[in-house]
Amino acid sequence: MLKRTLVANRGEIACRILRACKEAEIEGIAIHAANDAGSLFTELADIAIQLEGEGLAETYLNQNQIIDIAIANDCDSIHPGFGFLSERADFAQAVIDSGLIWIGPSPEAIIKMGDKMTARITMKAAGVPVIPGVEVDGGLEQVLAVAPSVGYPLLLKATAGGGGKGMRAVHDEANLESEAKAAMREALNAFGDDRIYVERLLTGSRHIEIQVLADKYGRTIHLGERECSIQRRHQKVFEESPSVAIDTELREAMGEAACAAARAVDYEGAGTVEFLVTPTGEFFFLEMNTRIQVEHPVTEMVTGVDLVREQLRIAGGEEMSCGPLNIRGHAIEVRLYAEDPANNFLPAIGVLKKFIPPTGPGVRLDTGVRQGDPVTPDYDPMLAKLIVWAPSRKEALLRMGRALDEFVVLGCTTNIRFLRELCDHPDVVEGWTTTDMIDRLWPNGWNPDLQSIIADAGLLIAAACESTNHGKNITMSSGSSESPSPFSQLSRRYP
Amino acid sequence: MEFKTSDGRKEIDPQKSGMTFMHEGSLAHMGDEIWLEIDGRKHKVTATKIEDTWWVHVLGHTLQYELVEVGAAGADDDGGLTAPMPGKILDVMVTVGQSIKAGDPLMVMEAMKMEHKIVSGHDGIVEAIYYNTGDQVIQGAELLSLSE
Repeated sequence: MLKRTLVANRGEIACRILRACKEAEIEGIAIHAANDAGSLFTELADIAIQLEGEGLAETYLNQNQIIDIAIANDCDSIHPGFGFLSERADFAQAVIDSGLIWIGPSPEAIIKMGDKMTARITMKAAGVPVIPGVEVDGGLEQVLAVAPSVGYPLLLKATAGGGGKGMRAVHDEANLESEAKAAMREALNAFGDDRIYVERLLTGSRHIEIQVLADKYGRTIHLGERECSIQRRHQKVFEESPSVAIDTELREAMGEAACAAARAVDYEGAGTVEFLVTPTGEFFFLEMNTRIQVEHPVTEMVTGVDLVREQLRIAGGEEMSCGPLNIRGHAIEVRLYAEDPANNFLPAIGVLKKFIPPTGPGVRLDTGVRQGDPVTPDYDPMLAKLIVWAPSRKEALLRMGRALDEFVVLGCTTNIRFLRELCDHPDVVEGWTTTDMIDRLWPNGWNPDLQSIIADAGLLIAAACESTNHGKNITMSSGSSESPSPFSQLSRRYP
Repeated sequence: MEFKTSDGRKEIDPQKSGMTFMHEGSLAHMGDEIWLEIDGRKHKVTATKIEDTWWVHVLGHTLQYELVEVGAAGADDDGGLTAPMPGKILDVMVTVGQSIKAGDPLMVMEAMKMEHKIVSGHDGIVEAIYYNTGDQVIQGAELLSLSE
């Protein structure tokens, strides 16, 4: 049993973990940068401690400072959340070396899954299907020799690479030689290593991931899939479970493969195995995320398992509490970003002068902000995750639409309307969600479907508000902290 | 009264009766709460003013209306491009005198840990560039100017 946990994170996920700690009767310690003083997560903690320094490297990524705070405050464990230090094997090792419990898999498992090549080799050895491909270290001639066995279209990738450098899609044998030369040149320039890798290019695929959970008593289970195909700028915006593309048979096969992947690295705690699923129902290992994921709530809603609570239980040396897998109904999560979808999804900033989330049956909001909070460029622009559950996918989409219509955020531009229109889009309704969907549907950018009657009504409201000085009188009579300053009175215009 | 909207400038002079305002058959009932009435149906509206802009949440849409000061210069945007948020200039992709088309990338900015392209809204010629690669910019800073 854990007694006191330091949460090495901030915002929405820190709130989620601190609440789980409270429910598990574990004391939760928050750490925060100076510019996060007063943030919601610091209020949910039993103790909140300010980090010294400025910027991410000196604060939320400062391993030594975080471990020192944990020890000085008699913590027995550290939960890393997601992002920040959650997939840093050196941090996991340092936590363990200081005598604390790391709430996550072993540093060895993080290393094995963190390196793409090692992960691929480990998975292949464990019998988990990987994308058909061949690693080439014999130069151009060998690339030309293995290409036919991989098949077209194919993808050339730098073995040492990342970030798209040294990556080339080849649709036709005629272009292979020139593209291979270019990829090798790019790889050499970028990484000092011209080895490339030939892999089949899987077009029109879905991004589907399997949640796994493993305890110290040899039990490794899967909790079904999450479909995360709708992405913009390679970031997920809309996730659901179950997936329309998965039947019971495929779920069992993918679940088995995911459990085999976890067992191959002696995985412990909560993790996610990502797969590409082709239109013909073939599936291939992509990578394993060795942490809790942003979209974990959809799995919680359909399985009834509290994943963060299970993480705490497993790290404390108890057996996981879940019974056999039982998927019930349908859950959808959308990510509310401070961004302008009509302007290439550019991040936005502002102050959340009004923040009125929806309520009602089957609606869950995971957020780290509340009304009055500023949205600054210092951190991730995700404001909240809105999750709904309903008996069927159709009802879940309708419920999400209803909830998004109710959601009022004024003072900072958000993607609420974009998410709302997604819920009605025929491709989404019919389940034709692929990773290239947003670019495919809106190649020239998205714009809201705004009826002129609503635009005109808004204009009328603005004029009526301006004429009546709307909001000013209420603020004064309610005696809130927003009482008008003499300066705002000075500049007030009288009609 | 004149407002800047996402669809250009709009003038409105609603009729008023007590605390009810009317325009194009729609009614706005003003009080502690705001109710919009269209075709006899009432819809709750939320609105708040930030600086000169009214933010209005109506029927699932969030709309912005920036009040145009009476007597303010009537000219529209002068073609300048401003930083949408504070950040750092990573790349300048154009030079002074270069002619560009709507949608052409002009600069790359880094903010909120991500890269963002500053894209031209219309065709034109680059008249001036005010920042170089590596410069920090504040929100609203004019980055470059384009001729119409």
